[in-house]
Amino acid sequence: MSDAERPTDDHVPGDDEFEPVQVFPEAEEMDLRPGADNCYKCSTCDTNCPVAEVDDEFPGPKFQGPEQWRLKRQDDHDIDDSVMKCSNCMRCDSACPSEVPLSQMHNTARGEYVEENMSKLSREYWRNRMLANYRRLAPLGSMFPRTTNVVMGLSATQWLGEKLLGITGEREFPEFATETFRDWWAARGGAQVENADKRIAYFHGCYANYNTPEVAKALVRVYEHFGYEIMVPDQHCSGTPMFANGMLEDARRSAETNVRELAAAIADGADVVASCSSCSMSLRQEYPELFDFEGTEEVAANTWDAVEYLRVHEDLEGELEGTSVGDEFDDFAYHAPCHARNQGLDGQTVEVLDAIDGITAHDVGDSCSGISGTYGWKEENYETSMKIGAEMFEHMEDADAKAGLTECPTCSMQMEHGTGYEITHTLEVLEAALVGSTTEADAQ
Amino acid sequence: MARDTEVLVLGGGSTGCGIARDLAMRGLEVTLVERGTLTDGTTGRMHGLLHSGGRYAVSDQASATECIQENEILREIAGHCVEETGGLFVQRPEDPDDYFREKLEGCRECGIPARVLSGSEAREVEPYLADDVKRAIEVPDGAVDPFRLCVANAIDAETHGARIETRAEVVDLLRDDDDIYGVEVRHESGPGKHTHATAGTTEKITAEYVVNATGAWAGQIGAMANLEIAVRPSKGVMTIMNVRQVDTVINRCRPKGDADIVVPHETTAILGTTDEEVADPDDYPEEQWEVDAMIDTLSDLVPILAEARTIRSFWGVRPLYEPPGTGTQDPTDITRDFFLLDHAERDGVSGMASIVGGKFTTYRMMAEQISDHVCEKLGVTATCATADEPLPGSENVEILEAGMDDFGLRSPVARRSKQRLGSRARDVLETDEPNPVICQCEGVTRAEIRDGISQSGTDLNAVRIRTRASMGNCQGGFCCQTMANELHPTYDEETIREALDELFQERWKGERHALWGEQLSQAMLNYALHATTMNRDRDPASESSTVDFAAFDDGRGAQ
Repeated sequence: MSDAERPTDDHVPGDDEFEPVQVFPEAEEMDLRPGADNCYKCSTCDTNCPVAEVDDEFPGPKFQGPEQWRLKRQDDHDIDDSVMKCSNCMRCDSACPSEVPLSQMHNTARGEYVEENMSKLSREYWRNRMLANYRRLAPLGSMFPRTTNVVMGLSATQWLGEKLLGITGEREFPEFATETFRDWWAARGGAQVENADKRIAYFHGCYANYNTPEVAKALVRVYEHFGYEIMVPDQHCSGTPMFANGMLEDARRSAETNVRELAAAIADGADVVASCSSCSMSLRQEYPELFDFEGTEEVAANTWDAVEYLRVHEDLEGELEGTSVGDEFDDFAYHAPCHARNQGLDGQTVEVLDAIDGITAHDVGDSCSGISGTYGWKEENYETSMKIGAEMFEHMEDADAKAGLTECPTCSMQMEHGTGYEITHTLEVLEAALVGSTTEADAQ
Repeated sequence: MARDTEVLVLGGGSTGCGIARDLAMRGLEVTLVERGTLTDGTTGRMHGLLHSGGRYAVSDQASATECIQENEILREIAGHCVEETGGLFVQRPEDPDDYFREKLEGCRECGIPARVLSGSEAREVEPYLADDVKRAIEVPDGAVDPFRLCVANAIDAETHGARIETRAEVVDLLRDDDDIYGVEVRHESGPGKHTHATAGTTEKITAEYVVNATGAWAGQIGAMANLEIAVRPSKGVMTIMNVRQVDTVINRCRPKGDADIVVPHETTAILGTTDEEVADPDDYPEEQWEVDAMIDTLSDLVPILAEARTIRSFWGVRPLYEPPGTGTQDPTDITRDFFLLDHAERDGVSGMASIVGGKFTTYRMMAEQISDHVCEKLGVTATCATADEPLPGSENVEILEAGMDDFGLRSPVARRSKQRLGSRARDVLETDEPNPVICQCEGVTRAEIRDGISQSGTDLNAVRIRTRASMGNCQGGFCCQTMANELHPTYDEETIREALDELFQERWKGERHALWGEQLSQAMLNYALHATTMNRDRDPASESSTVDFAAFDDGRGAQ
């Protein structure tokens, strides 16, 4: 072998990624040990891990990922329980200078831990299963949203949640909307623009459907403003909370449906867009890392964040130039969710809003909000979650704004919880600038 | 004339340590001297295969039969050194069917349990095998840690009263006419545990009987007393992969050839090997093409190896021997059997025997036969007990494995530590002090490092072979200095610095042969870390001249 033929370490993505094989007997288990080849132990992942920063007991992503995998033999199944302290923010993935598949290792190890080491009768298992499968419970809440909201808001309910399930009583449960997005979509008669050349399939996820349909509606109005035909395919949870809780079987079932439905939409000429940064992250990165259904790679390659898509395919800033949002919104303290950061999208919101007259989005820095989906809802993680979030809260309060802005539903909960600010989704601001206020739009 | 010891064993490899243990257990007074650290010669430079005998089932059935017998004994007496991985003889489409059948029949004739797997069954066992492998024979090959096994023999010999001297090089054989009565050794830092930066001494050790178990170096020892021992040292290269691509031993099922085995070894996989005669076991070329060719050939069996990271390569020399006049040309055809050369019979010089040839898997049996010979010479009638008495660390291993105690360590670290220490785990790991992980790659804690130091003084390479610390992917970049730090405050700064340098140099020696791709990045990171945090690229403290501190300004704070 001449030097020219030797493998290099330049890490052009994809050039030397190994294809993990399912090695261990259970269908879910993959051999990720060769992924440890990329690690030269520099510890950049550890210094970027928000959990390790505030919790000395957490050994950090380097141990959780490449070190633990490398120490593994085929028949070893005792994953260290510290993997459950990982919040799945996935910052280690983007921090790593050497493309170690850290979150893939964590997700797989967590799945194995839950499968092999966590009692299926334990409160922790059932609590996690419930949190991970929020989508299955949400339709019940949505059936009688007002009653549910009252019951969930009762302090007795919160007390019971903490004592019985280990769900922190410190947080208020998100309210269910009185009309889900899908109900609204059906009532409205679906797409109001038909365009065979510009078509998107909207992956709204659970939260925008059951809790914040105003975000989903904003997406519809913004995209229709640009002349897109919108499809809203059948869909399940993206899987993010399931990965984070090691419920890989549940995630697999959801992913199978999503890939099938979205691949069909792509075949119909659509690109997939998501309004939630964790949903797009899941479709783009975690699906191909963990599953291999037919169409997985294709869905991953054709999925976009909703704002990113418009910036690439339309002159979004040009269109926003000279617009304003009236009195509805003022300046924002903007937090870029970790999962947006991992997709390289952390700068876009500030730039896009810069084109709108009269409002400014102040970036509150690159810290993690600390809630990481279901993580901060668990009683045992609440304190850690708030410690991680402290930097963001402080920066929000220091920013010259009295409201918050982000693209992630749970970051939004944390921002509100820590500051009391009202939190808006970027698409709602774009809607106000391009289409007019929500009330005007509703009148359309 | 009164002698210092009854039996003097030369060489601290598997054979020498095995003999020392055997004789000490029989109640003889034994002294063992070793030039470097235990296993420094050929023992520490093998691929870690515990033969089932399958490898010799066609060409050398006597060896094959011995292998399966000893394989079964070592699983019992050295459980903490052995991993029962199983092995496969894998046939590729271009490999001969006849040989596959002969191999299978040979295994059965030698009492080696063997079962044929289809290509897809073989890939179920080892998913990284090539898609086109045809079929495989499953045999009870295993992986063995030669370091732990050798050290355990030495420890047990000491327990039975033996004196083990490492870093004691034989500089002369003491011969009086036709009788050899001892040796002169040069202690690198005086007798006892090694301490760096300490002046050496020489010592004459006399003995009733001398056993020359120096393997590939037996000829050099013999020459000191004008005895000709025609060892034919043959080098073989082995390359260590960063991770285990396979969990069973993978052999290529074809008549013979280089580069036909992958052995899962602890956290790594070891590729082997080549077979080429060399003139001097201490000085032979280590060439990159040998590594490249081996990776290339083995990638036919396990394709992922072509792109996988290697962390180092090393060469070992086999102590091959054949009786004068046999005249075999190709070293691969020289028998792997061992020979006991009784110099009284052979050369008319009494007081010494030399052992040459042989292989690691049957070290215990060789030691038994040699010990029988020594006992006969000395008129002792004790019998061998090494086949039944477990080595230290392997007593009641099953009880330990059943135990859930993780000594406060994270589960993979606890698991690996217990596998390494066997029944000694509780003694070593149970501590009231904080027990941080020192070597992150291999999951080695401070308690285990301290245990190693208690056995071997400042010799950090001896600590390394006992614990695996610094044997992982960073090759000591992140832990050598932390290991050395454990020598403080027992030893002074100069001693510790020398011990650290020696360990780090030893790591670099093998890593030099892996400098491309990720391991090159690793080496550069190690260099940068050591240069910028310890000034090891140009350390004034290591230079004789004093530092001119006046040449530096007072810093910003002073202004």
